[in-house]
Amino acid sequence: MSPQPTLDDHRKDLPVNDAPRGIDNLDEATETGARDRRTMLVAGLAGAVAAIAGASKVSAAENDFTAAELDVLRFAQRLELTARDLYDAAMAAGATGAIWEAMSEQHEAYAQSIAGLTGLSADSRNDEVFDALVGAFSSSDAAEAAYDLESAAAATHIEVLGLLTHRPASQLVASIISAESRHCVVLADLTGRGTDLTALLVNDAQPILPA
Amino acid sequence: MNDSRVARPNGFDRRTLLRAGGVTLLGGAVLSACAADFGGDTAPGRVGLADEGTPLPDGVVDDVVLMRTMQSLEHTVVAGLSAMADAGMFSAAQATYIERFISDHVAAAGALGEIIEAGGGEQHACPNEWVMSRYIEPIFAAVQGTDDEVRDVRAVSHALETMLAHSYQHVVGLLDAPTHRRAAMVQGAAASRRSATLAVQSTAALHGYLGPDLAGSPENTSDGFPIPYAVPSTFGRVDQIEVVVGAVDDDGSRFSTLLQTPAENTFVYAYQSC
Repeated sequence: MSPQPTLDDHRKDLPVNDAPRGIDNLDEATETGARDRRTMLVAGLAGAVAAIAGASKVSAAENDFTAAELDVLRFAQRLELTARDLYDAAMAAGATGAIWEAMSEQHEAYAQSIAGLTGLSADSRNDEVFDALVGAFSSSDAAEAAYDLESAAAATHIEVLGLLTHRPASQLVASIISAESRHCVVLADLTGRGTDLTALLVNDAQPILPA
Repeated sequence: MNDSRVARPNGFDRRTLLRAGGVTLLGGAVLSACAADFGGDTAPGRVGLADEGTPLPDGVVDDVVLMRTMQSLEHTVVAGLSAMADAGMFSAAQATYIERFISDHVAAAGALGEIIEAGGGEQHACPNEWVMSRYIEPIFAAVQGTDDEVRDVRAVSHALETMLAHSYQHVVGLLDAPTHRRAAMVQGAAASRRSATLAVQSTAALHGYLGPDLAGSPENTSDGFPIPYAVPSTFGRVDQIEVVVGAVDDDGSRFSTLLQTPAENTFVYAYQSC
C-alpha cells in the first residue's frame, strides 16, 4: 500500500548534514574506553547530590535566586562551556560535519542563556571535566565520547532542576534537557547504534556533580 | 421693520413638554426605587423546556492536576499508538519501535500515578477526553482514507511523541514543587528521545539531523508534509506541532491540525474521573 520507503529504509546512508569520522571501528577496545570515560565522569568528578541539595534549601521568592541556586546554575553553566570546548577540540582534531559545529554553538548558547538569566558571566569552563574528556574527544571515537557527555549533561540538568525553585531558571534548564536528550539520539546514530533502542531511548548516565 | 417675536400658544410649548416629560421620568424612577419588593422571579425569562445547564465546579490548577493531565496524555498516546498497531498500520520495522514506545508510556503513566497519589490525588488512568475528541479521532478518521498509510502513521507517531515532549517541558513552568518539575523532565527527556528517534529513522538520511533554523534544511517536503528533525532548534520547544495526513480531498488539500501543549481546557481537574 505504501509507495514510500519504510521506516528504516533511508537510514543506511550517511546523513546529509553530517559526516562523522571514526565510527566504523567500534570494537571491544573502544567500548571499554567508553566505559572508562563513564567511570571517570562518575568517580573522578562526582560529589554527591546531597551536597548540592543540602545547600539549596531555598526560602526566597521563586523569582529571586538564592546563593545556593546561583552556585548550582554556575556549575551547570560551566559544564555547558566545557561541552563547547570539547566539541571545539574534536573539530580541531579533525572532526568534520555540521553536527559538531552545531553542538558546540548550542552548548555555548545554553551557557549564555544562563548568564542572561542570572548575571553570571559565561567565562569559565570546568577544567576537571575538560581534562578528563579532551583526549577522547580528540580521538577516533569522539562521537562515542560526545554521546557519553550529552547523556551525563542531560542527567546532570535533571538533578539541577530538582534543586531550583526559581521558575524561569527551571524552564530554561528544562529546555536544555530536552535539547540535550535529542543530541544523545543523534550521537547514538552517529556511533552506529541507530537501531539500538537502549542507546537511543535510555539515559543510564550518572550526573556530573561538584567534587 | 420685522418683528422677531412669534406668537406662541399659551402654556404648552416644546420646552414645557420636555420639562414635563423629564419630571415624569424622574418621578417614576424615584417611585420604582422606593417601591416594595413584590416578589417573583427576577431571572431572565426562558423560552422552551430544555434542561438548564449544570455549571462546572471551579477547577483549581495545582501540581496534582498537572500530573493527572500528563498521565492522561501518556494514556492518550498509548491509545493512539495501540490503535494504529492493532490495525496493522505500522511496517515491521516501525512496529519494533512502537511496541517499545507503548510499554515506555505505560511505565511513565505508572510513575506519574505514584506522584499523583503521593500528592493526595486520584490517578487518571485513561486518555484525555479533550485531546482524543479534538485531535486524535479526527486524525485517525483522516488516516483511514489515506493514500499512504506508512507515511501517515509515522507522522502521527512522531507528532504524538513531540507533543508529549513539548508538554512536559511546558508544565515545568506551571508546576510548583521542584521535585515534580524534575519528575516531569525525566519523562520529558524520554519523550524527546523518542521524538528524535523517529525523526532520525524517518528523515535523517534525506534531510539531515538539524532543522531549518540550524542548517537551512527544508521545513516541508515537496508534497507539503512537515519534515521532522532530530534537532529542530537550539533549545527545547513548547510550540504546537503540525500534523498533515490523509488523502488529497476535492479541494486539493489534506487534513491538517495542530497538536498543542495542555491548557485550561485540557487539564484533568480534581472533579474529573475516568
